[in-house]
Amino acid sequence: MANATGTNILEFHNVTKRFSGVVALSDVSLNIRRGEIHGLCGENGAGKSTLMKILSGVYPWGTYEGSVLYEGRELKLEHSSIRQAANEGIAIVYQELTIVPSMTVGENIYLGKEPVERGVINWDKLYADTKQLLEQYKLDIVPQSIVGNLGIGKMQMTEIAKAISRNAQVLILDEPTSALTEAEVEKLMEILEILKSHGVTCIYITHKLEELFRITDTISVLRDGKVITSKPTKELNREMLVSYMVGREMKERFPEGQHTPGKVILEVEGLHARNPHTNREILKGVSFQLREGEILGIAGLMGSGRTELVATIFGEYGKVTSGVVRLNGQVIEVKNSRQAMAYGIGLVPEDRKTHGLVLIQSILKNISLANLGQFSSLFAIDTDAELKRSLEYAKSLAIKAPNLNVPVDSLSGGNQQKVVISKWLMSQPKVLILDDPTRGIDVGAKFEIYKLIRELAARGMAIIMISSELEEVLGMSDRIMIMHAGRSAGVLDAAEATQEKIMALATGTVVPTEQAILNQ
Amino acid sequence: MSSVSPSTSPSTAATGPVGAIAKMLRANLQTYALIFATLVIWLYFSYLTNGSFLSPQNFSNLFRQMVITGFLSVGMVLVIVTGNIDLSVGKLAGFVSVVVAAVQSNFLTSTFPDQPILIAALSVFTGVAIGFLYGVIQGYIIAYLRVTAFIVTLGSMWLLNGLILLVTEGRTIPANQSTFAQIAQGYLPNEVGWIIAIITVVLLFYGMFNSRQRKRRYNFELSPMSLDIAKTVLFSVLVLIYVYVVNQYKGIQAPVLLLAMVALVVSYVSTNTRFGRYAYAIGGNRQAAQFSGVNIRRNIFTIFVLMGTLCGVSGVTLASYVGYGTISAGQGYELDAIAACILGGTSTLGGVGTVFGAMVGSLIMVSLTNGLQMANTPAAFQYVLKGIVLVIAVYADIRIKRSSN
Ligand SMILES: Nc1ncnc2c1ncn2[C@@H]1O[C@H](COP(=O)(O)OP(=O)(O)OP(=O)(O)O)[C@@H](O)[C@H]1O
Ligand SMILES: [Mg+2]
Repeated sequence: MANATGTNILEFHNVTKRFSGVVALSDVSLNIRRGEIHGLCGENGAGKSTLMKILSGVYPWGTYEGSVLYEGRELKLEHSSIRQAANEGIAIVYQELTIVPSMTVGENIYLGKEPVERGVINWDKLYADTKQLLEQYKLDIVPQSIVGNLGIGKMQMTEIAKAISRNAQVLILDEPTSALTEAEVEKLMEILEILKSHGVTCIYITHKLEELFRITDTISVLRDGKVITSKPTKELNREMLVSYMVGREMKERFPEGQHTPGKVILEVEGLHARNPHTNREILKGVSFQLREGEILGIAGLMGSGRTELVATIFGEYGKVTSGVVRLNGQVIEVKNSRQAMAYGIGLVPEDRKTHGLVLIQSILKNISLANLGQFSSLFAIDTDAELKRSLEYAKSLAIKAPNLNVPVDSLSGGNQQKVVISKWLMSQPKVLILDDPTRGIDVGAKFEIYKLIRELAARGMAIIMISSELEEVLGMSDRIMIMHAGRSAGVLDAAEATQEKIMALATGTVVPTEQAILNQ
Repeated sequence: MSSVSPSTSPSTAATGPVGAIAKMLRANLQTYALIFATLVIWLYFSYLTNGSFLSPQNFSNLFRQMVITGFLSVGMVLVIVTGNIDLSVGKLAGFVSVVVAAVQSNFLTSTFPDQPILIAALSVFTGVAIGFLYGVIQGYIIAYLRVTAFIVTLGSMWLLNGLILLVTEGRTIPANQSTFAQIAQGYLPNEVGWIIAIITVVLLFYGMFNSRQRKRRYNFELSPMSLDIAKTVLFSVLVLIYVYVVNQYKGIQAPVLLLAMVALVVSYVSTNTRFGRYAYAIGGNRQAAQFSGVNIRRNIFTIFVLMGTLCGVSGVTLASYVGYGTISAGQGYELDAIAACILGGTSTLGGVGTVFGAMVGSLIMVSLTNGLQMANTPAAFQYVLKGIVLVIAVYADIRIKRSSN
């Protein structure tokens, strides 16, 4: 890495960043070349987000050791100086969304730099500019729409549009695709190509290796806060990359495992449900069966109703207007999560920040929250037992933290996800619903979670697993239900399922075949 | 990949006792800062008043003055922790005090002329029952009918003010039956005081050894023995000093003992029961609590019932303390209680706060009031200073939190 300054837009020199008790980055030296798309990957908690937060001023100059050269001179950002970083031409899209849901797309994009004339915001100009920006990147979003109504994919796109609207020289994307569907990922890839052609340098963090090989020029791998390698993408392949990340070789992507599904435990028939707020019909007839010891994958585009379906089964979403849910042959009416849990149904929700975690509380309290009954005698909680059991789960999922008393918001994104999964595993449900459980999780840990899911199924647990990644659905499920526009569009056996068949059903380009209907 | 280690607190084994103390101080910075602030305030007033601020008599009164808003703060912490607020507590305590006074002087004394204990007991029961019932109604409206706590309790404030006027008809009603008066004005004999002190110290040590033993049984990392002992000794010494000083005056104050017991129970409940844990989870992230199967409505309902009951206790103590019920009873106590919680580190955003913190916050509030009065500060300045202290304290709290991050 002996590049002369000038070809490098950014250089990290021996950067070390410590949090009390944790070394997040240790002696990181890394060069980013002008105009390239630089991929950054590594396990959960490897330090990727932390490195980027140094660039954006979340961790200002002086709170870390070492130096960062930007355009050949040292970057000295002040505290909370996202604005200063932006003025320097560094823009960042964080792992967690930072847009204001109650404001419009235009308001969000120009938040903090609204076009002002004589002290008054020029709304016409703001929306005209927004429209132009969105068109330039071929984004199909109306500038006046309220962001909260958009769905997570378009929200993410708005966030990205906001970042690039500031004439960024360097654009950092921290796991932008973990919430996107395949089609939206395509879109993002196009945007990145456009940006690259404009000479913008891009740092791209992801756990999806396909994306790295597709779009990046250089890939760097972090592990335990250290740079393991930084090489042109051409010189790497998938196996090499994985072994750099996890520190050992990993041959297969999905664990082997045969289960013999038992009797039908959960049965959903003609389920219709409405959104409780807008009263719009979201589920328009969903039917499926789930057997003990079976993994049922649910595929479908964002907005196809898959999240709404499982939340309705869990009692926390819609008003059921018709249809029935049967558990072990008995019709059940689940009105809230408490009842669902009493029936032995657990749900790892899609959005960990809003539905999964109490961010200010410790790992311990988050894991035990849904399970305090297990440790409570008549009145008091047996805190020792609570700690002991939580520790077992934290260890089996390899949650990376100094101890269980640290607040969850100091964990890396992937480790937060593991906390939510631990919580629901501990409740030992009979039916476990996982809504995109590996979102933001690294390859090594993903494999661990897959293994765990397989083990649970082998022990007779019935599992529903929603996933945005087709490969994951294909690799893990015994059967796959595809949803389209609030209906079950078909059910495929793992053996007959292919990406093409799933996509065709998910986009509604084929009517379900007779076979698929019979399989229901 | 280094994953979680089985320690409950940051690892202390490697650094030895000095490092362990440093770490403990850092982890509990806020608690120690509060205690330190209290001591500074005491020393300052002691200096201003040539030592009479810390004389046994004033010291004893100081704690007694804290009791009435102290009860309110104990409940208020939980209310704020769940992300709610209760503006009615002052007026509810006031209402309870006037009803107790009215019942006592208009009914009980004439009905049971020779039974002082029965009169006192019925007075207490009436007061606490009114608080409880009011809590039930208010909790139902907030938790199940889902009207915002701010609005409901604001409405209650006016409503109760009206009821106070109705009951008193603008007059002052005596509540000075002698047994009843003991509740807020009684003292324990010195010997009993020492027995309580010794039992407390024994329990402190027993609790420490017991928890160490349980940790050992589960193979958890232990903090150094010397540190645990030092902490326990420190608390024991504080208890002994307290009893020594109040015994110099008249002995342990009955209402203070009552408050201490209530605070201990609620504190234990808030950290060691499902009910308490759920309250913190609801305040931290209501939706996540909902998705974890927490019965949010029942929890909030219960908290308002508890709050109402504590208002009842506070009102009874108030009547006993002043010996009458009057139209201005409880005026502004809600703000004192809220301020005490905030001073004690309770977050207005919900999810964070402790009963212990609120108690220290209460103590700081009364110390200011009492000290400023003793130093003959004009009433106007007392308000000004209290306002300034509150804002500064919260600012300091923010700084402390930032620096310990
Ligand atoms: N504010 C904080 N306080 C304490 N520790 C922190 C804080 N922020 C991050 N860490 C720790 O620093 C390490 C690196 O975290 P970082 O968020 O950079 O990981 P990451 O590589 O982005 O992981 P992921 O892929 O899961 O997002 C983790 O061990 C994390 O627990
Ligand atoms: Mg990250």
